[in-house]
Amino acid sequence: MSNPSTPDPSFLRGLTQRRLGRRDAFRVAGFSAAGLALAACGVKGKGVARPTTSAQAQSEVEKYWAGKVKNGHVDFANWPLYMDPDHPELKKFTEQTGITVTYKEVIQETTSWFAKIQPQLAAGQSIDYDLMVVTNSIQLTQLIKLGYLVPLDHEKLPNFTKNVGERYKNESFDPGNVFTVPYASGMTGIAYNPKYIDTPPTSYAALWDPKYKGKVGMMSDSQEIANFGMFMLGIDPEKSTPADWEKAAEKLRQQRDSGIVRKYYDQSYIDPLAKGDIWLCQAWSGDVFQKNLSDGTDLKFVIPDEGATIWTDNFMIPKTAANPVDAITLIDFFYEPTIAASMAEYINYVPPVPAAQEIIRADAAKATGQDKKTLEMIADSPLVFPSPEVYAKLRTYRTLADATEQKKFEGIFQPITTS
Amino acid sequence: MTEIQAGAGVAGEATPDQVPAIELDEVVKEYVSHGEVVQAVKGVSMTIGEGEFFSLLGPSGCGKTTSMRMIAGFEEPTKGVVRLHGQDVTNVPPNKRDVNMVFQSYALFPHMNVWDNVAFGLKRKKVPDGEVRRRVGEMLEIVDLVGREKRRPREMSGGQQQRVALARALVNRPRALLLDEPLGALDLKLRQHMQIELKRIQREVGITFVYVTHDQSEALTMSDRIAVMNDGLVEQLAGPREIYERPATKFVAGFIGTSNLLSGVARAVNGSSAVLALGPEDRVIVPIKEAVAEGDTVELTVRPEKIMISTERPEGDLSMVEGTVSEVVYLGTYNSYAVALAGGAEITVFQQNVHDSTTTAERGDTVWLSWQPQHSYALQ
Amino acid sequence: MSRVRAALTPYALIFPGGVWLAIFFVVPTVVMLSLSLQSGNVADGFVFTWNWQSYVDGLTNYHDQIIRSLAYGLAATLIQIVIGFPVAYWIAFKGGRHKSVYLFLLLLPFLVSFVLRTISWQFLLSDNGMLLGPLKDLGLLPHDFRVLATPYAVIGGLAYNFLPFMVLPMYVALERIDPRVLEAANDLYANKFQTFIRVVFPLSLPGVFAGVLMTFVPATSDYVNASVLGGTNTTMIGNVIQNQYLVTQDYPTASALSFTLMALLLIGIFAYAKALGTEDVLEVAAR
Repeated sequence: MSNPSTPDPSFLRGLTQRRLGRRDAFRVAGFSAAGLALAACGVKGKGVARPTTSAQAQSEVEKYWAGKVKNGHVDFANWPLYMDPDHPELKKFTEQTGITVTYKEVIQETTSWFAKIQPQLAAGQSIDYDLMVVTNSIQLTQLIKLGYLVPLDHEKLPNFTKNVGERYKNESFDPGNVFTVPYASGMTGIAYNPKYIDTPPTSYAALWDPKYKGKVGMMSDSQEIANFGMFMLGIDPEKSTPADWEKAAEKLRQQRDSGIVRKYYDQSYIDPLAKGDIWLCQAWSGDVFQKNLSDGTDLKFVIPDEGATIWTDNFMIPKTAANPVDAITLIDFFYEPTIAASMAEYINYVPPVPAAQEIIRADAAKATGQDKKTLEMIADSPLVFPSPEVYAKLRTYRTLADATEQKKFEGIFQPITTS
Repeated sequence: MTEIQAGAGVAGEATPDQVPAIELDEVVKEYVSHGEVVQAVKGVSMTIGEGEFFSLLGPSGCGKTTSMRMIAGFEEPTKGVVRLHGQDVTNVPPNKRDVNMVFQSYALFPHMNVWDNVAFGLKRKKVPDGEVRRRVGEMLEIVDLVGREKRRPREMSGGQQQRVALARALVNRPRALLLDEPLGALDLKLRQHMQIELKRIQREVGITFVYVTHDQSEALTMSDRIAVMNDGLVEQLAGPREIYERPATKFVAGFIGTSNLLSGVARAVNGSSAVLALGPEDRVIVPIKEAVAEGDTVELTVRPEKIMISTERPEGDLSMVEGTVSEVVYLGTYNSYAVALAGGAEITVFQQNVHDSTTTAERGDTVWLSWQPQHSYALQ
Repeated sequence: MSRVRAALTPYALIFPGGVWLAIFFVVPTVVMLSLSLQSGNVADGFVFTWNWQSYVDGLTNYHDQIIRSLAYGLAATLIQIVIGFPVAYWIAFKGGRHKSVYLFLLLLPFLVSFVLRTISWQFLLSDNGMLLGPLKDLGLLPHDFRVLATPYAVIGGLAYNFLPFMVLPMYVALERIDPRVLEAANDLYANKFQTFIRVVFPLSLPGVFAGVLMTFVPATSDYVNASVLGGTNTTMIGNVIQNQYLVTQDYPTASALSFTLMALLLIGIFAYAKALGTEDVLEVAAR
């Protein structure tokens, strides 16, 4: 129980720190602005045929990069607190290349970010950024389909080719990494508070267990709950069909209507979990890890036996970028193993560069005290460096092919959370 | 300052065998303002008779309104007793007192029409509907508002609102009606008309009126008796004629009408009058009430209209002084002269234009002022 | 010349506000109306097709949320009147020299961001938090009792978050009542209770009316409280609209729902004004 005279530190932290805004957190912010911006500008879009053959892709790349030169500067848009606030990696980059970086934490959520940049990109105007990080999502698929992204020249990405783990290449939402390359990954699994739960849940069935009635938290994101509903029914979400969706939705409705679900959360689930308002919930791996590190909580994260999804935040260059060469140079810089390690040490999400693990181990060996313990923990964490057994259970999101499919999908799952 | 009880021989006084309508007995009211105790009323006693038109007259801040609010029950006296018809009501709340009030700004209920305003008190007293209708109707007739029952206060003129306020209070047939500067917001013409109206209504209903005003002419016109108040005390309590003709104090003399003040050393004292030394040719005789010794300084007052002005020294047993005309103002029915005496005092004289409109004297002329000694009063 | 200027002055005065409203209210409203009748999707673009289907879909799928929003808004408004009136009354009549201090104290919590204030309720009302925890420890409440993620939390949050907009107009109406009018009632044999019922309350009605308008409308269309304090089956129409805009990116349905809500609120306001006799009430307010 918290002492009434002193605010719960986790509460204050929750108000001020990074939970606000990562991924789909706080949809409340920026709603009207985004909506009206779109409304006022009118909404225009036009599908662009995706290059279907590698030869076609190659010609697109050549066409774009021809004559592009280094300008000495790059504007980088990222999520809040997705990098050490001192930006040691960016400083090192400037030292090495002479390219200066303006780093802005302007992306609060995928949806509103998309709503913000879409009209400008549609009009062929600059969005003021050369580089941005977007989660694999419906919006990312749309960015690609609408032709808003620069086809990446892999010749300018030697570190990517050399250092990035095979499973982060060639992902279903962008085969061949034509437009995107990974920034960091995380898993969606079950988090629980061992203070209230004696037997660690190993299956999705725990989230449907009536003994946890009113103490289960689910996510408000349609794809996230859809995945859980499908895993519960033994369906691989990546390969699911609309018929599977209906079945999963029925399962999720039953979970809701029997009062098991307390609430559908955005990223704000972590504090209620720590406080005991909910005992177990859908969660993102990095959140649990960081919460334990920063607040000394003992929350647990499990990847259920049935499997789990892995998602990836990705680098991409908007079509109207002024400094694409500088941007791609910076992207590749992040795949140097030491840089990847340094990033993972701070953000605690899965780095796309497997070699980072050994470097963190080496750093741990050199460090002392609390730092040593923390670094060891990170290096050994299956959540930052999933083992092959874990990887074997991981699936990616179902990529929704077009607007019709997207509408169908949302139409099935959104009413569950907006009941 | 001496306190003046309603004495014998005063007009309109309650007859001893009758219970007085209102009695204030040594009433004191103190406020705490900014940490300091302020006495608004410093010990006031008065007895107001049944059916009397009684005025509390004085400048603002003199305690007249506070005194009235203690009668109504809005203020509780710090000390002293308030009686209504012999009953001690000092701690009785306003809604349990059989007196009603007409407020300065009327305080009509803005959300009710005329009828509902007037019927308010009767309904609270649970008077049967039929009787409410009858009495409200009658009262609207008395105040001449028939046909305007459905009007809202803000749709009416000041005079009409005033009459609604009056009706709203009178319809309850209170034992006494309290009126707090009720005509203050009206223009002169309407005020004069309402003065007569009020007087008529009072005669018609026969209820005791207690009337607070700072307008001396209003008080003189309407009242049976007047309590002149100053600085939380009653300076004089008497009928209008007495107050005007025989102001008891310098304050009253100054506050009521225009007064001339003269002072001089008593040269000879002869029982009920004294001869004052002024200029060498002057002769001033003044009736005195209290013992005055030769050599005492005596102040006297004489009203401007009692003074005659002449170029020759008048004959007879008059008081007379010599002076120089410093100002002549033609005022239609009369002329007003300002005459400077040798001693420095300035005397105002009103002279009626009885014969023709020529003036008796011009500016700079030396004139004689004279008056009957009994028209002047020594002030305490 | 000066007559021309005098004639133009009123227009000059209304010009900045008029332009502001035209650009930031009228234009978006028209665009939104147009959007609600378009069909298509973000990727392929939207085309105006007189597509009334969005209205049909919106009402079919979300009538529960619309009714719930109106019910929550109404409940919150009633709670605000019950809580707010005594506060406004006390400040207006008993506040004395410190009225402005009390008003400031009333507003103080509202200097904090709306969202943060609502989140702080999450902290206060947590299942084992500083309010419920001790009561549960003492056995006064069952262990599975909760306030958060229930309709009560949402309604409570709505009532709290819009409280000043209820209290301030009521305060203004009460404050302008001439104290002598109350004395007059007292003088005319009304006791305190009767004075309140017959005089104070009727005279405060314009304030209550304004307060209801200023709280019911935003409370009904709110989405923050439901998303922060609600649970399952507490979603309000504001959340649905927001979701339709940002997540599903179904702008026509979102616009159609916005318009439906706007229409319902306008009808409600007019009915309410009619029933209360606005003109009479407002006349009193104008005094």
